[in-house]
Amino acid sequence: MYNLLMKELKLGVNPFFYIMPFLTGALMLIPSWLYFLVLLYFCFLTIPNMFAGYKTQNDLIFTSMLPVTKKDIVKAKVSVIVILELMHILIAMIYGMISVRLYPNLIYLFFKPSFGFWGLCFVMIAIFNLIFISMYYKTAYKYGAATVVSITATILFAGCAEWLGIQNSFVSNLFKGAGTEHLTTHLFILIAGIMIFAIFTIIAYRIAIKRFEKVEI
Amino acid sequence: MLALDIKHLNKKYEHFQLKDVSFQLEKGYIMGFIGANGAGKTTTIKSILNLIHKDSGEIYILGKEMLEHELELKQEIGSAFGDINFYTRNKIKTLTNVIKKFYRNWNDDAYYNYLKRFNLNENKKIAELSTGMKVKYSLAIALSHGAKLLILDEPTSGLDPVARDNLLDIFQELVEDGEISILFSTHITTDLEKCADYITFIDNGQIINSSEKEEFIDTYRLVNGKEEQMDSIKDQLIAYKKNSFGFTGLIHTKDFDPSWDIKSALPNLEEIMIYFSKKENLHV
Repeated sequence: MYNLLMKELKLGVNPFFYIMPFLTGALMLIPSWLYFLVLLYFCFLTIPNMFAGYKTQNDLIFTSMLPVTKKDIVKAKVSVIVILELMHILIAMIYGMISVRLYPNLIYLFFKPSFGFWGLCFVMIAIFNLIFISMYYKTAYKYGAATVVSITATILFAGCAEWLGIQNSFVSNLFKGAGTEHLTTHLFILIAGIMIFAIFTIIAYRIAIKRFEKVEI
Repeated sequence: MLALDIKHLNKKYEHFQLKDVSFQLEKGYIMGFIGANGAGKTTTIKSILNLIHKDSGEIYILGKEMLEHELELKQEIGSAFGDINFYTRNKIKTLTNVIKKFYRNWNDDAYYNYLKRFNLNENKKIAELSTGMKVKYSLAIALSHGAKLLILDEPTSGLDPVARDNLLDIFQELVEDGEISILFSTHITTDLEKCADYITFIDNGQIINSSEKEEFIDTYRLVNGKEEQMDSIKDQLIAYKKNSFGFTGLIHTKDFDPSWDIKSALPNLEEIMIYFSKKENLHV
C-alpha cells in the first residue's frame, strides 16, 4: 500500500497539482467573495485533469500488472484524493485567516471564512467524494459522468447553503454576523464537518472496492 | 514442471467467447501463441494475469493456482503488452524507481547489466524509445525482478526485421538455463519458426492445436490437386482455394491418403493460420 501511494504521488499526480492549492487558496484574499468556489476549483480542475492523466497514461493496466491487490489500488487512489483535498482546505484556511485580518470591517454578502464555514466545506467535499469515487470505480476509467454529477451535487450544496445564509437570519448571523465570534459553535460545526467528510469518504471507498472488483481491465 | 497450465478456460462476451481453452507450457521453453486478430490471444493472456474475470476454468502458474496466489505469482511473472505504453513522458529512471519497490527479489546489478546489454539509457523518456527498445525495457524490468514466466502480448509486432531477430535471439538465450519460460503471442508466424519450441493456435476463441512445433506442422498437409480431383476429397479438406491450375487445400495428415495421387507438402504456420480462417468464412 505504501509503495502504491508513493507510485501515485510520484507518477500519477503531476507536480502542478501540488502547487494548485497555493494558487486557488490565494483567491481567499478577494474581499467578500463566494469562498466555496475556492475549494470547488479542486473539483473543477484538479480532479478531471488528474483522472484524464490516468486514462491517457494507461495507469489502470500499469497498476494492475504490479503485484498488488485491487483493494490497495483503490485505497491508494482514494488516499491521494484525500491528501490533495486536505492540502486545498488547510492552505485555503491559512489564506482565510490572513483575509479576515486584512479586511476587518468588511460586510460579507457570502459566508465569512470562519471555522464553521470550513466545516461546511468539509461537508461539500464529502458529498463530492461520495459521488465521484463511487461512480468512477464502476469503470475505473470514465471520469466524465462522475465529475459532472459530483460537481452538480457540490454546487447545489454550496448554493443552498449560501441561499439559506441570505434567506434565514439565524444562518446569516452565524456565518456572516456576530455569530462568527461563537468559537465553540463554530468548532463544533468544523468537527461535525470533518466527521461527515471521514464517514462519506470511507463509504465511497467501500463502494469503490466492491465495484472495482468487478471491473474487467 | 509446468510453467503454465490452463484448463478449460471459458469466458463469454456478447460477441465473442473463449471456449474451453486448455494448454500447457513446460518450464524452460518458449511457446508461441498464434491466431488472427480478434482470435482471443489477448483475452486469454488477460485471463491468465487475472485482469479479466474468467467464467470458469483453472489457471496454474508454476504449479500454483493463480487466483489463490495472485500476489505471490505476480512477483514471478513478467508481462509486456507490445502496443500499450505507460507514463511515456517519464524517464526510465523515474519509472524503474517506482516499479522496483514492488518486487522483493529486485536485483539492481542485474537491472543495470540488462540496461547496458540492451543499450538502454536510463535518462531517456519512454516516449523517446523505439518500439523494440520499449519491449527490451519491459524485459529488463521483468528479468531484474527474477520473473520465471514471461507473458508477452505481441512483443514483436511493429518491429523491423533486424530488431525482431535480435529480440528472438534474446528470448532463446533467456530460456537456455531452463529456469525461464516464455509465452508470447504474435501473428507474425515467421518469428515462431525461428524460436518457438511449442505452438498454440487459437482461432475464434477455441484452441485448434497446441503441441511441439514440428509435431504441430506435421499434423497438417498442404495439398495441390487438379480441379477434377477436388470434388472427391473436398469434404476431407479443412479449407481450400481454387486457382487456374486446380486447387490448394489444407488437410489433417490423418485424413490424407497417399493413394490419391495428389501432391502434398508440409505447410508453414502462416498457411495453417490462413486456411483455418478460411474454414470459418465457409461456415458463416
